Amino acid sequence: MDTTVPQRFVVPIGPQHPALKEPGHFEFTVDGEQVTGASVRLGYAHRGIEKATEGRNWVQNLYLLERICGICSHVHATAYCLGVEKLAGVTPPPRAQAIRVLVAELERIHSHLLWLGVAAHEAGFDTLFMYSWRDRETVMDILEALTGNRVNYSANLLGGVKFDLTSELTDKIYKGLELLEERTYQYVDVVTSDATLLQRTRGVGVTTREQAEQLGLVGPTARASGVERDIRVEAPYAAYPDFPVKVVTATAGDLEARFVVRLQELFEAYRLIRAVLEKLPPGELQARMPRKIKPAETVSRVEAPRGELFYFIKSNGTDQPERIKVRTPTLCNLASVCVLAVGSQLADVPMILAGVDPCFSCNDRMVTVYSGDTDHTQWTWKQLRQYGIDYYRR
Amino acid sequence: MNAIQDLLTLMFFPGGLFVLALGMSYEWIDRKLMARVQNRVGPRWFQPYADIAKLLVKEEVIPADSNRLLFIALPILALAGALTAALYVPLAGFDPLYSFKGDLIVTLYLLSLLTVCTGLAGANTTDRFSLVGATRTLTQLFSYEAPFLLAMLGPAVAARSWQINEIIADADGQWLLIVQPVGFVVALIGLLGKLEIAPFNAPEAETEIVAGALTEYSGRGLALFRLGRHVELVVGLTMVAAFYMGGVSGLPLFVLKTLLLLLILVGIQSLVARLRIDQTVGLWWRWGTLLVLAQWLALVIWEGVQA
Repeated sequence: MDTTVPQRFVVPIGPQHPALKEPGHFEFTVDGEQVTGASVRLGYAHRGIEKATEGRNWVQNLYLLERICGICSHVHATAYCLGVEKLAGVTPPPRAQAIRVLVAELERIHSHLLWLGVAAHEAGFDTLFMYSWRDRETVMDILEALTGNRVNYSANLLGGVKFDLTSELTDKIYKGLELLEERTYQYVDVVTSDATLLQRTRGVGVTTREQAEQLGLVGPTARASGVERDIRVEAPYAAYPDFPVKVVTATAGDLEARFVVRLQELFEAYRLIRAVLEKLPPGELQARMPRKIKPAETVSRVEAPRGELFYFIKSNGTDQPERIKVRTPTLCNLASVCVLAVGSQLADVPMILAGVDPCFSCNDRMVTVYSGDTDHTQWTWKQLRQYGIDYYRR
Repeated sequence: MNAIQDLLTLMFFPGGLFVLALGMSYEWIDRKLMARVQNRVGPRWFQPYADIAKLLVKEEVIPADSNRLLFIALPILALAGALTAALYVPLAGFDPLYSFKGDLIVTLYLLSLLTVCTGLAGANTTDRFSLVGATRTLTQLFSYEAPFLLAMLGPAVAARSWQINEIIADADGQWLLIVQPVGFVVALIGLLGKLEIAPFNAPEAETEIVAGALTEYSGRGLALFRLGRHVELVVGLTMVAAFYMGGVSGLPLFVLKTLLLLLILVGIQSLVARLRIDQTVGLWWRWGTLLVLAQWLALVIWEGVQA
């Protein structure tokens, strides 16, 4: 062994680690408490969903794709439905579009409150963690009352939605929002004034506007650095043209700004939900969808709680898709962790990691890079499965 | 007969088993109060006993590349240190079992033994989380130990004695926290650092370094370290209550005063986020040490003027 090379002290975070709720592997080279290098390896939760869609029909895929993410399942279904509807030339009724927005915003509330708890826990502030998750139950109850499920609500159908709003449900939502709004004011107060929390968030993991644009950050992570990027505003989908969104941004780009942006977005979500409930258009819930879709391709973009969610959908004239490609916001944001971690304290790394609100199993993909003109073969499900088994056996 | 009586005192009451039981009860109160503050249900009263019993019967895994002897001996030494320290303080309102000139210093060093053992235990393995945790444990030791010692010396200077029961007798039921507020606050917060609880829990920050120095410990070793910490909680509370809150003569007064202190500790714990290790060191050396040193100097001068 060459003794002249200084030995590197690597602290592994993952694949199994208390800071991570899902498997991902990060290696941080440290010098004392200072981080001098960072690398990321993903793919521990690859499930082959994209490939699996090719063997199922359009309706079955709706249920499969909804299970890509356990936190933002509704936006996945919405992105898929909007894309397939575009391909089939079907316009869902306005009432269905409004209900899609309603559920999407409720989901955003639940996702942001969940993040608040996780981030507080990473900072060692367990009281805030417990409180925010207790209040999150309010919105979970609302979602359960609306759709019958706490996660994977299954609210969407191709061409519409599955359920209607009743006056009791509306009352329940109004009541829940009132409580949540009051609590959110308190959280904003805590994250902007608590001295010990500010020591861990203010000026930590600062992402400048240039960096954010260079790294292609999306969602609240980008908005905290002053990048006004929100699909709901840039390319309004579903009922967002009728219910315009105000983009919340901050300029500091540090962890505190990310806390503030996400909490301010909660207020925006409360306002949107109230607007939708007040002006819910009357009418049908579902438009008729054809079983087969003629060959075409389309792109569908929606704003998930974590940022831009991108779907590419290609049909081939049968009742099954030719190809579905999903890019989740976490993939865009993860690169920033490796950049920001270098030069920061080891203690801040879990905070920086949690700051982008990572969701690993959603973003794990398999990519094969062909060099030159090698044959472009198509893999079968069986081959892919065998490849996965061999990959992990190594 | 004297030997048997000594043995009983050491093993069962008020030393030994009684101290352990007391420690676990206080641990339960701490966890329960914390849970209630955080809007949780919290553990039932026997949870710490069940935890320890479970750990004691579980297999202890000794890492291949650590020193076997040290790995087994360190938890025993840590618990022994804490239990010995308990003999010199007025536990549960009784007079200290043993007393001699200078026992205050011995007790303080015995209390540090747990932290030193934890640090060594972390450094004994090659686990990366343990090594970072050990570094942090020892760094933290150097930051709070001096101010904590000075805070404990405040009452000693006022009493012109290094003997615990003489210091308590000299105070004669007066609450020293009124004349030495800085010492009281530093002692109380130093206790948080000693026990590695929030905001000074960087050495075992689970979201960064899993369980810190004790990551490789399981079974009996972990049980002994935890018992040591439970005992230290009681001993620490007893010392602060005895020195700064007018003594703890009698069981009811002891319970009342130590629980009051515990309530304050829980309040601090639940209201703060974790400090980074550099922030911990900064806090102690920029504020804690200087303030307590200033008060200590003032005390010495006051005593000199009076004499």
